[in-house]
Amino acid sequence: MVSAPLALIAELTHRCPLHCVYCSNPLAMRNAASELSTTEWIRVFEQAGQAGCLHVHFTGGEPLARSDLVELTARARAAGLYVNLITSGIGLSEMRLAALTEAGLEHIQLSFQGGQAEAADEIAGAHSHGHKLALARLIRKFKLAFTINAVVHRQNLDDLSAIIAMAEELAPDRLEIANVQYYGWALRNRDALMPTRRQLEQSQATVSAAEQRLAGRMRIDYVTPDYYARYPKACMGGWGRRLLLIDPAGQALPCHAAGVIPGLTFDNIREHSLAWIWQQSSAFQRFRGEAWMPEPCRSCDRRSEDFGGCRCQAWLLTGDATATDPVCSLAPSHGLVEKVVARTTDDLAQEKSTFAALPTAWVYRRNPS
Amino acid sequence: MTLETTSRPRLLAGCRWAEASGAERLLLFPEGAIRLQGTGREILERCDGQRTVEQIVEELRQIYSAGDPARIEEDVRIFLGKLHQKRIIDF
Repeated sequence: MVSAPLALIAELTHRCPLHCVYCSNPLAMRNAASELSTTEWIRVFEQAGQAGCLHVHFTGGEPLARSDLVELTARARAAGLYVNLITSGIGLSEMRLAALTEAGLEHIQLSFQGGQAEAADEIAGAHSHGHKLALARLIRKFKLAFTINAVVHRQNLDDLSAIIAMAEELAPDRLEIANVQYYGWALRNRDALMPTRRQLEQSQATVSAAEQRLAGRMRIDYVTPDYYARYPKACMGGWGRRLLLIDPAGQALPCHAAGVIPGLTFDNIREHSLAWIWQQSSAFQRFRGEAWMPEPCRSCDRRSEDFGGCRCQAWLLTGDATATDPVCSLAPSHGLVEKVVARTTDDLAQEKSTFAALPTAWVYRRNPS
Repeated sequence: MTLETTSRPRLLAGCRWAEASGAERLLLFPEGAIRLQGTGREILERCDGQRTVEQIVEELRQIYSAGDPARIEEDVRIFLGKLHQKRIIDF
């Protein structure tokens, strides 16, 4: 029997007021009419609590777009789940934050797209940075754990010191500096987002210095881009090992991207229990264990650490969901990743003039129709 | 901020205990959890914002009376230092 998932990722909606160019939502999004009702989500939380889940992450799209969010929070807490809100902050007033806290919210993770408004708003495709700054100050008034999630990439990594300084002033408990990962909309914009090697090395030094300086005051977690890694990430802690995602229409997935993999039937929480989906469903079983692994993964010493990396990334880059994640230096298809990295340029001045020549360089995230 | 004998460590907002089941107890924090038992559990359960570090060390010495008193103090300090860095406790 597989042990209980640690966390339920409740992708409450794909609606969002922002249009971030790095968004990892699927390109094929769920529309509002298809969303689970309040009652349906409550049932999901109760099943998750009973199954031994500890955490729920309210995410999306923008979870604040759900008008029933306070009730969902209360019922998730009542079901025995620790409630984390992963949000852009757009749609959050003091009153609503008070209501969410009262209802049992324990942790809020607020995203930032940059260190100053012009650049951040360009990435988000909307005026949002100023609101986030104001909201961060408000959050400190409440009894909540507070994380700032600063999303970084080639366009803002040179500003990393300023981003850290901004975060420091806003005083979260924790700063996550997250290099973009290439799914969904981020994959469409990859050429403009992939950092250079120089940027990566410099950023690691900057983060290291900041960690030491801020030790005991602010915890920093730095997620580096796996295209530059030697070995792949243990994506989601392994397929169907730690995390279970329910999408806005009730489809159960091992992660936000898995819908792109063909040949898998993902079951719906409207038709099956969460426990059955987790334990028995074919999609969740598909990449558990080692029997599915090809070489070199099958005999690799690291297979129980990183599980051969990300299945979705293997599919997206090689067309084979069973392949070794190409970011792995041991992957037969590693050359694909090397080519992308080789295309990055340090000459940002040259790059800016190239972008100026194109009418629409960014592919902005659309809302579901 | 350094840990003094008079410091009163406490759990940060968003860090709380789940119910105990036997010797183990889960401490929940943003996006994660740790299982604690033995000395780790004994120390963290005493981080109530009331007890000083000195009191916590003294209580641990009584529980682990066969242990080296100086070593117990060092272990308490190291453990609390790690939790402080992870932003699980403050003092």
